[in-house]
Amino acid sequence: MTSTRRDLFKLAGGAAVGALFTPAPWRLVTDTALWSETWPGVPRPARGEIRAKYTNCSLCPAGCAVRARCVGEQPVALMGVLEHPFTHGALCPFGLAGHHLPYHPARIAQGPVKQAAAAIASALARCAANERIAVLDLRPGRTASWTYRRALAQWKNGTYLTPPRTLGGNLAVNLAAAKTVLSFGTPLLDGWGTPGNVIAAREGFRLIQAETVESRTAVMADQWLPIRPGSEPALARAIANVLGNQPLHDAALETGLTEAQIVAAARELADNGPALVLDARERPEILALNQLVGSLGHTIVMRREAPVPAEWKNAVAATELSAVPDGSVRVLLIDESAPGPYLPWSAVEKKLVAENPVVVAFAWSGEGYGRHAQFVLPTAVYPEMVDDIPAAVDSPAAMFRLSAALVPPPADVVNPAEFVAALAQISATNTLRERADAIHKSGRGTLFTYADAKSTALKDVKADGFWKALNEGGCWMDAVPERQEIPKLAFGPPAATLTADNLPLAVVMAEAPAGLGSPILSKMYQESNLRLAEDRVVLHPTVARECGVEDGGRAILEAGCGRLDVLVCEDPGSPQGVVQVAAGPRTLDLCGSSPRAKVVRA
Amino acid sequence: MIGPNKQIRAARYGMTIDVDRCTGCGACMVACAVENNVPPAHAGATDRNGITWIRVYKIDNGLPYPETRSAFIPVMCQHCGNETPCVHVCPQQAVDVDPATGVVGEMPQRCLGCRYCMAACPYHARYFNWWDPAWPKGMEKTLNPDVTPRMRGVVEKCNFCHGRWHAAKQQAAAEGKPDTEPVQYLPACAEACPIKAIQFGDLNDPAGAPARAAQSGGSFRLLEKLHTDPKIYYRSKRDWVRASANAPHPFAGQHEAGKENHRG
Amino acid sequence: MRRIPSPGSTKPERRTTVDRQLIPRGVKRCSTGKFLLWILPWAALLAFGLYSAGLCLVKGLNQTNMDNRFAFGLWIFLDLTVIALGAGAFFTGFLLYILKLKELRAVINSAVVIGLVCYTGAVCVLAVDVGQPLRAWFTFWYPNVHSMLTEVTFCISCYLTVLAIEYVPIVLKNRKLRQVPSFLVFEFELHKLVYVLAGVGTFLSFFHQGSLGGLYGVLRGRPFAFREGFAVWPSTFFLFILSAAAVGPSFILLTTWLVEKISRKNLVRPEVFGLLGRISGLLLAVYVLAKTVDTLIWINRTSPEIGFPAAQYYSWQPFGTWILFAEIVLFGLVPALILLAPQLRARTGWLVAAAAMACAGVALNRFVMTVQTLALPTLSFDRYLSYFPSWQETGTFLAVVAFGVLVYSFSFRYFQLFPSERELKFGAAAVRER
Repeated sequence: MTSTRRDLFKLAGGAAVGALFTPAPWRLVTDTALWSETWPGVPRPARGEIRAKYTNCSLCPAGCAVRARCVGEQPVALMGVLEHPFTHGALCPFGLAGHHLPYHPARIAQGPVKQAAAAIASALARCAANERIAVLDLRPGRTASWTYRRALAQWKNGTYLTPPRTLGGNLAVNLAAAKTVLSFGTPLLDGWGTPGNVIAAREGFRLIQAETVESRTAVMADQWLPIRPGSEPALARAIANVLGNQPLHDAALETGLTEAQIVAAARELADNGPALVLDARERPEILALNQLVGSLGHTIVMRREAPVPAEWKNAVAATELSAVPDGSVRVLLIDESAPGPYLPWSAVEKKLVAENPVVVAFAWSGEGYGRHAQFVLPTAVYPEMVDDIPAAVDSPAAMFRLSAALVPPPADVVNPAEFVAALAQISATNTLRERADAIHKSGRGTLFTYADAKSTALKDVKADGFWKALNEGGCWMDAVPERQEIPKLAFGPPAATLTADNLPLAVVMAEAPAGLGSPILSKMYQESNLRLAEDRVVLHPTVARECGVEDGGRAILEAGCGRLDVLVCEDPGSPQGVVQVAAGPRTLDLCGSSPRAKVVRA
Repeated sequence: MIGPNKQIRAARYGMTIDVDRCTGCGACMVACAVENNVPPAHAGATDRNGITWIRVYKIDNGLPYPETRSAFIPVMCQHCGNETPCVHVCPQQAVDVDPATGVVGEMPQRCLGCRYCMAACPYHARYFNWWDPAWPKGMEKTLNPDVTPRMRGVVEKCNFCHGRWHAAKQQAAAEGKPDTEPVQYLPACAEACPIKAIQFGDLNDPAGAPARAAQSGGSFRLLEKLHTDPKIYYRSKRDWVRASANAPHPFAGQHEAGKENHRG
Repeated sequence: MRRIPSPGSTKPERRTTVDRQLIPRGVKRCSTGKFLLWILPWAALLAFGLYSAGLCLVKGLNQTNMDNRFAFGLWIFLDLTVIALGAGAFFTGFLLYILKLKELRAVINSAVVIGLVCYTGAVCVLAVDVGQPLRAWFTFWYPNVHSMLTEVTFCISCYLTVLAIEYVPIVLKNRKLRQVPSFLVFEFELHKLVYVLAGVGTFLSFFHQGSLGGLYGVLRGRPFAFREGFAVWPSTFFLFILSAAAVGPSFILLTTWLVEKISRKNLVRPEVFGLLGRISGLLLAVYVLAKTVDTLIWINRTSPEIGFPAAQYYSWQPFGTWILFAEIVLFGLVPALILLAPQLRARTGWLVAAAAMACAGVALNRFVMTVQTLALPTLSFDRYLSYFPSWQETGTFLAVVAFGVLVYSFSFRYFQLFPSERELKFGAAAVRER
């Protein structure tokens, strides 16, 4: 039998037709879908054992308890610890994405450590008698703060600087005891204090929010008093007058409220106690209302500090920045690793000596004081850093909890406290353990551990166990003393605010200050306009027209000490004569000390 | 797999969102992006082409300052149960409704990127990947291993954290529970909400919190008048908030006719 | 300026270049140089457009100004428009081969080329418009039979094949290609198929024109577009068929007139213009009537029943009620009346203007269905948004225009698009000689 070419074709054709009746070709076509289903450049998430690690968030003074979902050692999601007796499992959006911070594009991993040390040494060498070396600590009360104070005690002109604060140190707020809260622009429901505690206490008090714009807190308040910008002291005066049965005068006019509104608010404070008065800027004339309504000892209480080793007592006391003479700081070291309130640079700058001051910022990004400092030394960032977090303003009891390192920091980061200690030639390598031991020795309070959600009296825990628990997710809470001391509020004179008449718009900080957060926060700032980004301003459409700018357009925000490129958002719900900006290092530098500005077309 | 003679008790997962509790903090949006591996915005992205599976809108009563009163409404895929608008328009079956859960699913690997479903969705709850997904260097280590990141050119949206549902299902199986019963789990937004304004559960379970909340007074749904039977219920005591969900547009009492609120 | 040489003149035979050899016998075409000069700007535009499209394909659709709300933009609007305008191809075929209107043989070839150009362009733009063009075949592999878009994809790809087959005989009739014997046989065989093709083409076209309308009519979530209908088809399904059938002849009329003007030749008899106009006018009148009834039902029943008073759609500037008036009356009723009036139709100016208005009306309808539908908010706290195409989007579309002009120019130069051109030329010459 011979096979011709024709037979071969027949066979091939028959095979092809036959194949169509098998599943093979159809399956193959379906499978070719695979190559268009994967796409180069799309990262594949790493797989591994899923475990939980615990820590405390150190991004703000609240220090919320955190459970990290980890793949191997790497945290991939953060959530609160629901059973925590104080933070109640709440985490704010910034905390929820805190594990992204080590990979932030603005992250600094290396810095001129040697050069900075040399510059400081040479500056110290030529320090005149009336000049000083100062550390600005944005979050006082930490163990690191004690290290600074001990180190600065080694120099005769060492000064330990803190941001001004009335509440949050020895005085704490007890929200759980409050029945009526009058808040002057405090972002009470938007990051103030410990979010979980505020939420837990929220049912128990009536909230009256006196604020120019309808902030998140104003939205959720029981009553919003839309007052004119800058009229908070006037409203406080008017309420004081009502409480003292004095005539209101023209205070009502100044605030833009009706007399009835002011009287009603004052009556509520007086009749539905215990009351509490809070102010976003802690102006003494406003906080003084607390004395009138009898908050002291009820909603504003004395708080002990977590015990410290006896040998640390040789330390300088804290000084407020305003108390330092102008032009007297030769060396300024700013610890930004534990974020706190941002002081406008103009207020800091005038304290520096005129010629060649040395300013060193310890920070994980150059977005804060790093913009002004000669040297920016990289620090670890949450959740790489090991630091303790003192009790927040709304905790009546002292606390001690650690932000443990969930991931290792880059090799070249600096521990600011150890750096300063080395300058002063004191030992500060094991301070956290020493502090923990001192607390343990006191035997007070309870330890709450996160993994098993158990509270144990501290006296039932061994020192090593205490230290281990703190590192693996735990929180020590001091016992509240039986007998409350009645605190005394020290009221200084009202702070003078600079006014510039040629600037037509009042600046209102509409967004509570938030430091640099995870890139994923673009969901709130960029991919929706849920929160106001630092490069945006909100204007009433009429105001925008008067300024010659339009919705979505570029503009320049001009204030007494500079200008900033911004994007305009129009909002008919915004008051006239006001420009709303978000509080951030740039805007605070610009408008932090003088609350007036103008907006012009870019 | 389900055996042939087993009767599955179908779930109808849904949510109740208490608008009167929502502070508009944005925790749900962040937790959602973290959970579902949604990348941070491209530098050129705006609120019109970004990806936020859940988006919190600030709404107001339309009155001028100082009578303005606002509220926050989180809007995600409403998982419509009746003639789901996006499902029947998809030309290649990339969108489906799971009969066992009632969840409207989206298969990014099947998606052509024609965006017809986006045009069909009255809630604008669908998002297109206009850019290649990109994370800052090193940040891809923080991706959730349970969710595959999507490629550019496809549509994505809320799926009630399908990864979590799947994990709950597996755990139930490991614990020897019958696979015919719906599992209990929490999507990331409900878990992250610090004020617990979002309640999630099986709406078919009359004793469940969301079902009870949905039945109670002050409950409403967005664009209920379109009869798409969304599974996201909202609650508010404020009349104007409830009215805004189904109000004709421009909303009554809006500042000027034809001028909507600019905070959306 | 081109002179028409009389057949009696004894000019020496020109150099015969390939270009010259390809030009059909008995017709006069401009010089190669002039043709190149005409081609050049279009080729440049095509190159620019291809660059724009390339950017969109390589860098992604972020190159466009579309966004999550404006999921469709310039491309979809113009796709719908060119597909409606390209309907002349199927509708002329239907009239000629099925209804036996022999006069239309004069424009059928041109209509096929226009159809081919429109559909190819639309499909190419769609390929850029989708996010994952490599998955286009999924529609065939995992079709969702409930989707109007599946219907559109199936019909358009099938109809494009039909158009390509219909185009082949036109190409094969070329003087040079006829010299290949097997081409001749093939062309002859194909020719026998022409009635089948016309029938299939008509069926497919009716369906996808309808489905394109159905695309919007089924959008339950978009009350501005949503329409009631018969069975699974919303009323827009039928309106799109009607409007496409109505403007198809108008567009053929318009393009033929344009080609006559540009080439300075008589290509078809005036009666054909009149016939196209009459057909277009008649269908347009029916369409306007149907559209009016549909609009009234929509305003008074469909829309209010789902809680959207129709007035709210027109409270957003710039899309006031004027757009409704422009669409139905100005660019619908008015051209229909002109085309139906024999005295007006007899004047070329009126005829062409009316045809242009009819085309504009349908384009406006497609614009409204695409852009206005997407611009309008549905939620009360939603924003009304505007959109303007980016240069990459515009460029990509211009590529289609340039592609169309180029294909048509080459076809006109080398193929017999207007069978009566030769007789008209000799007729004119004879008249002049007399």
